[in-house]
Amino acid sequence: MRKNETRTRYLVNFIAVVLLFVLSLVMSNAGGDTLKLKVVPSIWQCCYLIIMAASLNLVLGFLGQLSLGHCGFMAVGAYTAALLSLAFQRAGFYDEKSGPAFLLVLLLSTLVAGILAALMGLLVGIPALRLKGDYLAIITLGFGMIIVNVINNLPFCGQQGLGQGSASSALYATGLGFSNDEKVQYLWVAVLVVILCMTAMLLFVRSKYGRAIRAIRDNEIAASTSGINVSYYKVLTFTISAFFAGVTGALYSCCNAALATTSFAFTNGSILNSVFIVVMVVVGGMGSMTGSVIAAVTLFLLNYTIKNGAWVSALPAFLQNVFTYPMLVYSIVLIIVILFRPRGIMGSREFALCDVPKWPGRIKAWLTSRSGEKEASSHE
Amino acid sequence: MKKKLLSLLLALCLAFSLAACGSSDSTSGTSDSDTSTATDAEASVAAEEDSTSGAVDGTIMLGMIGPMTGSLAVYGTHVANGVNLAIDQISAAGGVTVGDATYGLAVESKDDQGDSTEFLNAMNALISDGIELVIGSATSGCTSSITSVSNSEGVVLVTPSGTADALTTEMDYVFRTCFKDSFQGELAAQYAADEGYTKVGIVYCSADTYSAGLRDAFAAAAEELGLEIVAEESVATMTEVDYTNQFTKMVEAEAELVFVPFYYDVTGPYLVPQARSVGFDGILLGADGVDNTETTIPDGADMSVYNDFLFVNHYSTELATSDISISFVESYEEVYGETPNNFDALGYDAVLVLKQAIESCGAFDADSVQAALADTSVVYEVSTGTFSFDDTGTPIKTGVLMGYSYTEGDDAVTKIAVTTLSLD
Amino acid sequence: MTTFIQFLITGLRLGSVYALIALGYTMVYGIIKLINFAHGDFIMVGGYTLFFMIPIVMNLGLPGWLAVVPAILVCACVGMLVELLAYRPVRKKGNNLTSLITAIAMSFVLENLAQAISVIGPDPKVPYTLFTSTFSIAGVSVSSATIITVVVSAVIMVALYFFTQKSRIGCAMRCVSEDKEAATLMGVNVNQTIIATFGIGAGLAAVAALMYIAQYPKVYTTMGATLGIYAFVAAVLGGIGSLPGAMLGGLVIGIVQSGANTYISSSMSDTFVYLILIAVLMIRPAGILGKNVGEKV
Repeated sequence: MRKNETRTRYLVNFIAVVLLFVLSLVMSNAGGDTLKLKVVPSIWQCCYLIIMAASLNLVLGFLGQLSLGHCGFMAVGAYTAALLSLAFQRAGFYDEKSGPAFLLVLLLSTLVAGILAALMGLLVGIPALRLKGDYLAIITLGFGMIIVNVINNLPFCGQQGLGQGSASSALYATGLGFSNDEKVQYLWVAVLVVILCMTAMLLFVRSKYGRAIRAIRDNEIAASTSGINVSYYKVLTFTISAFFAGVTGALYSCCNAALATTSFAFTNGSILNSVFIVVMVVVGGMGSMTGSVIAAVTLFLLNYTIKNGAWVSALPAFLQNVFTYPMLVYSIVLIIVILFRPRGIMGSREFALCDVPKWPGRIKAWLTSRSGEKEASSHE
Repeated sequence: MKKKLLSLLLALCLAFSLAACGSSDSTSGTSDSDTSTATDAEASVAAEEDSTSGAVDGTIMLGMIGPMTGSLAVYGTHVANGVNLAIDQISAAGGVTVGDATYGLAVESKDDQGDSTEFLNAMNALISDGIELVIGSATSGCTSSITSVSNSEGVVLVTPSGTADALTTEMDYVFRTCFKDSFQGELAAQYAADEGYTKVGIVYCSADTYSAGLRDAFAAAAEELGLEIVAEESVATMTEVDYTNQFTKMVEAEAELVFVPFYYDVTGPYLVPQARSVGFDGILLGADGVDNTETTIPDGADMSVYNDFLFVNHYSTELATSDISISFVESYEEVYGETPNNFDALGYDAVLVLKQAIESCGAFDADSVQAALADTSVVYEVSTGTFSFDDTGTPIKTGVLMGYSYTEGDDAVTKIAVTTLSLD
Repeated sequence: MTTFIQFLITGLRLGSVYALIALGYTMVYGIIKLINFAHGDFIMVGGYTLFFMIPIVMNLGLPGWLAVVPAILVCACVGMLVELLAYRPVRKKGNNLTSLITAIAMSFVLENLAQAISVIGPDPKVPYTLFTSTFSIAGVSVSSATIITVVVSAVIMVALYFFTQKSRIGCAMRCVSEDKEAATLMGVNVNQTIIATFGIGAGLAAVAALMYIAQYPKVYTTMGATLGIYAFVAAVLGGIGSLPGAMLGGLVIGIVQSGANTYISSSMSDTFVYLILIAVLMIRPAGILGKNVGEKV
């Protein structure tokens, strides 16, 4: 009975994923300006944010270590993939951005981006053996800063290289940087990468490795006394997490033809930075992969629609003035979400399509428990 | 049973709202622009009725992208001030004449927060709203990420203040109203050579497009002109607060003139006083970013340090030959209550250039306007001088050398225009 | 030789500011174990208050630095408001990380709110320069502001030390930092203690703002972000929660930054700061002066 249930659950989710993929194929064949200019770029951005949040969740949610430099790995991936594709193009491996040769380069630069970032993750993982909590957080922050600072000072990839200048326009013309039309054409690549990465990460957290790192999160000493090699698993998780962040970097350089190191900083004006990736994981629910997905998409849509959405112009004038400061709205919403769902949208539960019919009951239970809490607190 | 019904209803509501969220992304964009265009059109029509001329035949929507919030907000908001001033003045003067018809001007503005991803989103959203003429963005770094989109989608992009050389390298859809970095750098080097300095130093920021671009141009020109670069130091970011170590090295290397391509927000409070405090008493030479340093000089500090602090600039109200500069400065001061800076003036000019192009070709779609702008024989008379485009869409301008001078009597620093600069 | 002295003095100048900020940072962290990302923005609030208050105070014929009194009041109010409106409700329900997210969100709220207020706006503002006198050591001129900053930091450090060790509130703070539940049982009003901590921490930020603008006279809305990170690094390097540690950490970072600037590569000084941090933490995982508390099984 139990096994059957699990099988149906996997089957339903699998079918949903296949449908999603087919939908992306259909979409890339359908035309339309809105699709090309708004929907597809949004999907691309969602794609890299999803993998980014999920990969950080491995470290933050499952291993229980705060990492504040996750975008540094993404930067390594982005610059590696971009430079590699340019190198292949200069070597005459491919001429135009289509055909099997280009796809091979795309695959190869994505993989190499991931591997290089993983090596960096290994480097960060080693101090993680000795430090924990806030001390580890500051080390990861430091690594992120060092990566950005070093990239800035490399002549071929700093502001003068891939940020803009001849290398940047070459990236757009012949390298990985996709124009709007190519984003539509290669939408399936982004969706496929997301599906593959998410599957791999889900399998990882459900395997014996996943159970081991959760044991470390819950109680490190107990885990080590039960024969879990704590050092090995910590470094392993950091490396895997960095690998996926590197892959994300490759997607990012496809999506944004120009690379600027400010996008990978600790904080900056927008929602792609190390701090906001942490926000996504916490809002989605630490220890819930699907929670990360939901949070990444929700936060992206919130950010996007505050700036480009219709509903802002429908608001009263004084609120519209507030909405000219998107970050203000964004952070207030964040505080409200945290107040009402302190454990994140999903908690540590995973989303499954089979559970959707059970939602009303759960929401009601949640509401009654809330009102119960309120009564209890008013009695105090 | 009732409870089940209720929960079903709740679930439906949730599903609908989710679906609404999802679809708002794809369908609402156009309706949004329609409504906003409509309201803007009404607004401009209302403005028309207030002024003397009669009805207009429609509104030309311009797009504007800039960092209105975030750490670069100061540049974006100033460009916006200039753009809005120009649009108000044009509307008040009767709008744009296209063929036989008269059109109002309006602007749809997007905030890019100084981030390249947001910039792409903003540009795409403007294009999908049907806007074909875009002004933006304020800094070279931001602008570089969308020049390729504007070319591939066929939308005219006029950057008011993106000075990096690489922004426009051929005659395509990207234009600018400022001069480019290499030109500024050459002007600066030539000034140094003309004045007979032989030992020069450079302090710049290697991580910033503007600063590093200027440094490259200055260094190349200096070498050509036989100047010796005795010391070169860099800082990590454009918001660096301490420059004393860098200038100690300049003093040690006995540099007579130091090139400092920074913005006015660091030169006033940090760079100049610190350079003097370690004993550097030569010439400090900056570029257009230095303009407006007088607004960032702290009260109560030693004002004499700002002597011998010169910079290359786009225009000077003192050396201006045209009335348009003077009237721009006057009207800006009247509306905003402060002196305009380069970003204000260049944003203002971007609108004027677009207006002239629209009027000369009698249409306002991207291709006609591009063709009109691509005509390199047309002369534009705008607030920052008189120019025509070269074959990459960059203005051929003369520069002005300006500087700060300290008067002991009233203990104040004044901005003076030294001379007009042009390349030999 | 001049270069060497100049590098030391620049390091001291940067380091003294970092140290002063790190003191407030470490104070709040020591009590409620929260990395208060908004602390840098308290400095921004203090900076703007000083910018507006210094001319008013000077018009009254008083020395300009007395403007720090209203700045301390404003900052303390903002600090306590932030605690009341955001941190307290979240702390009740969430864990450390949700508090951290709230801190990040509050930092964005303060930065953007400041930009939205029209008298502040995005334009950088340059406050009146205080403590302008300079004197020279071995041919290198030193601003008196630098010396005052070091002295003020040292005085504050000692004062805070005695405050936490001897006074009643200080005792309550140490109690709360050890164990909240036990403190409640002992009759300590935990909420009041925490709000007092925030008031003091934010008030210290106003003092730090005064010394910061005396040396680097510019205030802008996003100034808190960079300062906050450096203060965080300084606090952790010295051993977070340790007051002398924060002071030492700040000075070390200032001197390393200045040394890397002078002797290695001026655009890579950040890299060296973080490399030193990593190296120190690898050798002493709890920071230079931090106590390494073993975990009980």
